[in-house]
Parts: sequence; structure tokens; C-alpha cells
Amino acid sequence: MEALKEALMGALENHVAFTIPVLGGIPVADAVVVTWIVMAVWMILALALTRRLSVRSPGRVQTALEAAVAFLNGFARDTIGPHWRSFAPYLGTVALYIGLSNLIGIFGLTPPTKDISVTAALAVMSLVLIYGAQFRYNGLLGGLKKFAEPMPLLLPINLMEVAIRPMALCMRLFGNIVGAFIIMELIKFLVPAVVPAVLSIYFDLFDGLIQMAVFVFLTALFTGEGIKDAA
Amino acid sequence: MTVGMIAAGLAVMTGIGAGIGIGIATGKASEAIARQPEAAGKINSTLLLGCALAEGTAIFGFITALIMIFMG
Repeated sequence: MEALKEALMGALENHVAFTIPVLGGIPVADAVVVTWIVMAVWMILALALTRRLSVRSPGRVQTALEAAVAFLNGFARDTIGPHWRSFAPYLGTVALYIGLSNLIGIFGLTPPTKDISVTAALAVMSLVLIYGAQFRYNGLLGGLKKFAEPMPLLLPINLMEVAIRPMALCMRLFGNIVGAFIIMELIKFLVPAVVPAVLSIYFDLFDGLIQMAVFVFLTALFTGEGIKDAA
Repeated sequence: MTVGMIAAGLAVMTGIGAGIGIGIATGKASEAIARQPEAAGKINSTLLLGCALAEGTAIFGFITALIMIFMG
């Protein structure tokens, strides 16, 4: 039992990959390095897959990409409403990042979303997006008035939501990834062969993709809530 | 140590509520899709949202348990 706890503690810690030797040493966590890898993968894919695009004779890759972008745009239009256009690229980027971050455990790297700082940063970005959009499309007064909807009695609850929404987004993503990680470690401790591989399909692949969808969906929904009926 | 372990076990009991909630939601969603298959897309997205929110309670309990075990 103690050995298992030690092993779990070691696996749950966020290791420092290396230290930049300026200003007394800036620690760079594993999550940051893996994030760079994720960024590099998506940038190279984006550059490689969008070469030789053509209107008259689209290739197989181009058709698939167009279908994906059309799906993303349709999703944004359905959940955000008339002002969907400027939000679709951000939602797509976050989806790609979280998706690959959750799946990268399969390739033996630590998923960045296992670090609570990463999910907290994502949640703060969502917070800025949600309330930034609310004030951007309703104006200062209209944005403030949104807090008193559907009736002024609910004002304290709406103000509490400002803190609760990002907190819940952050904890949901972090808790799911860490939970799946711990369960996988426990199974590996009990049965080191075959069984972990089968269950990893559920805990790494399926759960990771579901959490990506949930995070993006909730961000889009909260954003749409604030600006759906704005002019 | 032992009291902390018991507390962690109690905290993780939130999973029961989330399980019941998600179960009811999924059952109702299946019924709704069986009744109106053409509305499956909208029902699915509502179900996903409801499940995510119901699951949140389980996650909070789980994180509380983790904090108790590893930091308490």
C-alpha cells in the first residue's frame, strides 16, 4: 500500500523539465515542454495539409479539412448565435490543443492537462472570452444589465457564476484527466499486462475526447448565453 | 491518517449522486430520441451539457478526496 502511494505521488507530481539560467533560474515545467510539442505538431500539420489548395480540383485531404471546418462553423453558429464568426477559430484551436494534450499520454508523454496550472489557464481564457464578448456586443451598460437577467433578484447568483464557471471548467478537465490517470496507474499496479491496454482505449482515448468536447461546448454555450440576442 | 482516509471515502461518495443523475438523464434522452428521432442532434447536445454539469459534482468530490489523501 505504501509503495503504491509512493509510486502514485511520484507520478502525480509536476516535474520541472529544465531551468532557464537567467534571473536566478526560471523553472520550465514538463507541461510547458509538452505544450511546445503539441504546438509544433499542429503547426507542421497545418502547414503541410494546407499546401496546394485548389478550388477546381480539391484533393482528398482538402475535402476532409473543409468538412471539419464546416462542422466547427456550424457548431459555433448553432450555439453562439448571429455573432459566431469571430469565435469559431478560437474554439477550434482550443479543441485541437486539448484534444491532442489529452491523447498524448498514449505516446508516453505526460499530458499537459494533468497539470492544474494548464487547465486553470484555459479556464481563465474562457472567462475572458465569455465576459469580454458579453461587454463587447452589448456595450458597457448592456453588459452590466446582463447580470440582472432574467430578474434582478438573481444578481448575486449571476455574480457568483463569474467565479464558479471558470472554477468548474478548470476542475472538470483536471479532475477527469487525473482521475483517468490514477485509475490507469492502479490497474497497471494490479495487472501489468494486456488489461491496461484495453482499458486505456476508454480512459485515454474516449474520455480525453469527451472532455475536449465538453470544455469547448460549455465555453461556446456560456459565450452564446451572453450575446445571443445582442444586436 | 485513518480518519483522513474515511473522510476521503465519504467525499468520493458524491459519485453516487452523479451516477444516478447521469443515469436518469441518459434514460430520458433515449426515450426522447425513440419518440422523436429527428431531434437526436439537439437532444444529444443537451444531454452532453447535463451530463457534464452532473459529473461536476462527482469531480469536486473526487478532488476533495485527492486533497485529503495526498495533502491532509
